[in-house]
Amino acid sequence: MKDVKEASEQLHQIWRKPSGFWGWFSVVNNRLLGVRFMVTAFAFFLIGGVLALLMRIQLTVPENTFLSPQTYNELFTMHGSTMMFLFAVPMLEGLAVYFLPIMLGSRDLAFPRLSAFGYWTYLFGGLVFYASFFVGDVPNAGWFAYTPLSASRYSGMGMDFWALGLSLVELSGIVAAVEIVVTVLKFRAPGMTLGRMPIFAWTMLAVGVMSLFAFTTLLVATLLLELDRTAGTQFFNPNRGGSNLLWQHLFWFFGHPEVYIIFLPATGIVSTIVGTYSRRLLGYTIITVAILVTAFVSFGLWAHHMYTTGLPELSLSFFAAASLMIALASGAQVFAWIASLWGRRPSLEPPLMFILGFLVIFVMGGMTGVMIAIVPFDWQVHDTYFIVAHFHYVLIGGAVFPLMGGLYYWIPKITGRMLNPLLGHASFWAAFVGFHATFFPMHLMGFWGMPRRVYTFPESLGIEGHNVLATIGAFVFGFAFLIFLFDLLVSLLVGERAGENPWNGDTLEWSISSPPPSYMFLAPPVVRGRHPCWHREPKGSEGDLAERASEVLWGQPTAWRGNLITEAVNATPQGIQYLPGPSYRPLLVSLGLLIAFLAVLTKLFLVTLVAAVFALGVLAKWLWPDRHVIAMLRSSELGRREGLPILVTGSRSTVWWGTICLLTILATALAALTYAYFYIRLYASEWPQTGLDPPALLGPAITYGTLLVSGAGLFWANRAFRGGKANAIQFAFTLVVLSGAAFLALAVYGLVQLPFSHRDHAYGSLFYLHSIFISLLTLAGLALVGSAQIRVWSEHEDREGSMKLQMQVTSLLWYFVVVAGVCTFTTLYLSPYVL
Amino acid sequence: MLKSSLLAESSLPRPRPVRRRSLQLVPWAGVALLLSGCQGDRVQSSLHPAGPAAEAVAQLWWVLLTILGLYTLAVFVLTALAIFRRNPLGRRARYQGRAFILVGGVILPAVILVPLLIYSLTTTVALHQPDTGLTIRVVGHRWWWEIEYPGQGIVTANEIYIPVGEPVQLELTSADVIHSFWVPQLHGKRDLLPGQTSAFWIEAERAGVFRGQCAEFCGLQHAHMALTVEALPPEEFAAWIAGQQRPGDAPADSELADSELADSEVADSELADSELADSELGDSEVADRYASPRVAAGRSAFFRHGCAACHAIAGTRAVGQAGPDLTYIGSRPTLGAATIPNTRKNLLAWVANPQAIKPGVNMPPTHAPAEEIEAIVSYLQSLQYEREEE
Repeated sequence: MKDVKEASEQLHQIWRKPSGFWGWFSVVNNRLLGVRFMVTAFAFFLIGGVLALLMRIQLTVPENTFLSPQTYNELFTMHGSTMMFLFAVPMLEGLAVYFLPIMLGSRDLAFPRLSAFGYWTYLFGGLVFYASFFVGDVPNAGWFAYTPLSASRYSGMGMDFWALGLSLVELSGIVAAVEIVVTVLKFRAPGMTLGRMPIFAWTMLAVGVMSLFAFTTLLVATLLLELDRTAGTQFFNPNRGGSNLLWQHLFWFFGHPEVYIIFLPATGIVSTIVGTYSRRLLGYTIITVAILVTAFVSFGLWAHHMYTTGLPELSLSFFAAASLMIALASGAQVFAWIASLWGRRPSLEPPLMFILGFLVIFVMGGMTGVMIAIVPFDWQVHDTYFIVAHFHYVLIGGAVFPLMGGLYYWIPKITGRMLNPLLGHASFWAAFVGFHATFFPMHLMGFWGMPRRVYTFPESLGIEGHNVLATIGAFVFGFAFLIFLFDLLVSLLVGERAGENPWNGDTLEWSISSPPPSYMFLAPPVVRGRHPCWHREPKGSEGDLAERASEVLWGQPTAWRGNLITEAVNATPQGIQYLPGPSYRPLLVSLGLLIAFLAVLTKLFLVTLVAAVFALGVLAKWLWPDRHVIAMLRSSELGRREGLPILVTGSRSTVWWGTICLLTILATALAALTYAYFYIRLYASEWPQTGLDPPALLGPAITYGTLLVSGAGLFWANRAFRGGKANAIQFAFTLVVLSGAAFLALAVYGLVQLPFSHRDHAYGSLFYLHSIFISLLTLAGLALVGSAQIRVWSEHEDREGSMKLQMQVTSLLWYFVVVAGVCTFTTLYLSPYVL
Repeated sequence: MLKSSLLAESSLPRPRPVRRRSLQLVPWAGVALLLSGCQGDRVQSSLHPAGPAAEAVAQLWWVLLTILGLYTLAVFVLTALAIFRRNPLGRRARYQGRAFILVGGVILPAVILVPLLIYSLTTTVALHQPDTGLTIRVVGHRWWWEIEYPGQGIVTANEIYIPVGEPVQLELTSADVIHSFWVPQLHGKRDLLPGQTSAFWIEAERAGVFRGQCAEFCGLQHAHMALTVEALPPEEFAAWIAGQQRPGDAPADSELADSELADSEVADSELADSELADSELGDSEVADRYASPRVAAGRSAFFRHGCAACHAIAGTRAVGQAGPDLTYIGSRPTLGAATIPNTRKNLLAWVANPQAIKPGVNMPPTHAPAEEIEAIVSYLQSLQYEREEE
């Protein structure tokens, strides 16, 4: 057997980052991308903070003229958008991208190139946001972009920057979610059952699933907004049958879970640090249940933001009950942390100080949260500084403080050097005192009549003193982060070496060196309890599959990047996953998207088309199975040992899980579109609008019938594939492709024949949108079916491994297209007769 | 329902059990004092209620603060104990911990929150829209409030007058983007949505002026979209209605205004106007104003400079709809949607260049010689309704 040094050198050769300037752009390693995410997000955090300080200067005295109203509105729009979209979510994603694989005992994330793609789209999205400053038309309709204020009639090009930049960032959030969900489910160390998983991983799993729904809904909403702005659709125009409240429903269906998407990972950090400092974590099961309850119920709370629009009273008791659930779930977590700390005399080092600061601030913010869930009380404080105070208590208290604690806790692992505890305490106290000085008075300002988003206030409200205090506090609070940056700089230069486990932490990241080696684990660690670094549980029996898998992968594979795949619940080894190395394709696809979006901004739609085709071309190349890789994997010795196959299929494969995530995303998008249709339908006085007749049924029935035929064809193709009948496979595939193409042709013909356009009324806009959505889905599905057919044709002898997987994935997607077609037909053609 | 029928039968002040309960919250008197502020007059405070709805919510707040505040303190004390005490528990920590978590984090909060939520729901129900009372239509514009009394045929802007002790129905809608109506001393907020009308209500139980402000971000001058609500005793309110119902400008004047176009005619009209005013209204102050040649010159300048394209003055040919109605602008308490007090100096500055006061407002600067602006302001100030009882 190789010795450790030799093995680690061999692994490093295959896992190390690509060298050189250009190599930087092809990195796919999770740790490097995680650091990039965090550094970029922190930079946006500082920019957003500077915007906030400028606003605080303006608000120091009544009727101040330091900023013009225009500038002030731009600043608060950018401050909110930056903090929510460019800082909070990406920062926590970055932390997860870096630490999740290490905590789970894996060598990388499930889809390394997708992580890189996520980073590039995030960066480009952020740059599009800020590019608006150079054009001199900065978004100014608020981070919530309520229509019609955000419509082209009332807002300039800035809102296009906002919508398009946001779309890129959402895309990044969605792919990160897929990444996280599949990694948590498939890349855990052998033996790390769901019940032994660190709480941080539980929170990320919950957040990943939430993001699939929430970010997709927002993506659909921003798409509708941008279509209204550039293509002349009428989704949100009440004068043409659209609805302003539709935007609010869609936005807050994302926006409320968003708060928990930020907050839950922060609670994961808290549980981790509390666990380390009290050398135990009580109530693991209760905490896990609380996380899942919070994640689920958060989707039932969006109307909290819409109490003042005059909702039906009947629905209010439902929302009250949902709020109660959230309060209890949060209460359970808080008491679990107190119970864990109880009597353990934890040493009050900076990481724990920030967590204690979190406890104080978050409990206060939680209490005001219970208050504003109460409808009549919310009627008074809604959109006042009371709300500003509340959500800064829950977002800064609930996310920034844990995050700072997390940074003090984990930076030694990332850099290999300790931070200075004195500077850490200074940073904490500046943050804690500055925070309260800034935001506590805002509760009172709200009571005394200061609305949100005002660039100035009259002297008569009698809140000058509070505003002065808030401004001073804001600068003290800002100073805390300068201390932190100084601390980080000093630590990087002369910091004390951290060693493997400076805090005596219990999770797997503390079992490897600081900073971790490029391949992270020489062999997958076998996990037998919740605290793998604290308790060395006795080894299992000799024949234990986990032990054998760990042995097989010790220092292996060396020719390619490989990681152990385990079963989703019990984490029993299932196979070895090939992971791709450095690649420029993620960057190229993101660049294509960026250029396409910028061209939309400048109305150069031809460029949009070209760039989109380019992006799709690179994507196709990216997804196309590489023959050489498959040949290499097939010939690998590793796959023949201990029953750990390399080319796995079905639910063993990460690709299969990724496809399930993709279908979840597509189903969510379809659901959001259907919701939009029926919401507008419900409030329309006549349907279809402007006295149109309901659509004829016969033609569309034939059109959508072809989709059903193609579904049957695919079923046949699958049977023939399993039976190994080469001719029948080709025959069935041809049937699928032809009927799919027929559907496309008929659908487009149907659109051309329509007696109304998408500009005429909201009904028209919806009709076109649904038809185009199903057509694009069909087109994408046809591309997949076509490529599967070609591959089966050219490699027809192979019906196992990657070919089988491709059949499975293609089938899942095409069956989804057929189901989506049935839904669209029901919505567009049947529902006008029934409802 | 009960509430509204009570209201219909009697205008006497109703008994308010709510207020009696508020006296029980003595322990919070100190906090209350802090929150109420020592500065005395809070013109836009939800904790200084002047009507039943705002009072019920303020009441709710004190209850919430008491209960949730105590719970917060308890959590803080437990946290401090957790950190600084040595653990007396041994091996059974896990079970005791679980009991502690479930009792403190789930059961106790549920026991506290369920009645609290039921109580809050009863408050919500109690704030149900009454079905009687005067109706006022409020239309939000960027960035001012159009106020209409449809039953009385009165149109005004940025000021609402209501009778004390009676609920007033509000019909809220918007002409452009979403706004939100909020007069915290009377009630919470309700959004003004374009394309639909929302029903809301306010009621004042004492006379006074209550400031309100748009609470939904509506663009550039969202900060300067305020209004005043003045609650008057019923007889004064009736007088106000009567005063408003008279045309703002004398009919004769309006005819003159209609016909005048040339400068020569202006001089004639001034003469005619002053004669008319003298003969008809004698010694009244209003009449004096009409008598002034300057007012007449101001009136003609008002039309000559195109003010009527956007503003309406009842009884004249000024019927513009884009800006606030000016029928009794002289009697309004504020200018520019409660941005500045309505003094002569402020009005001069506003007419000359509103952009300097409220940058981005839709009204352009008036390019006219100073004396013409003075005259326009004199004319506008002359537009006052008669307070009969004075």
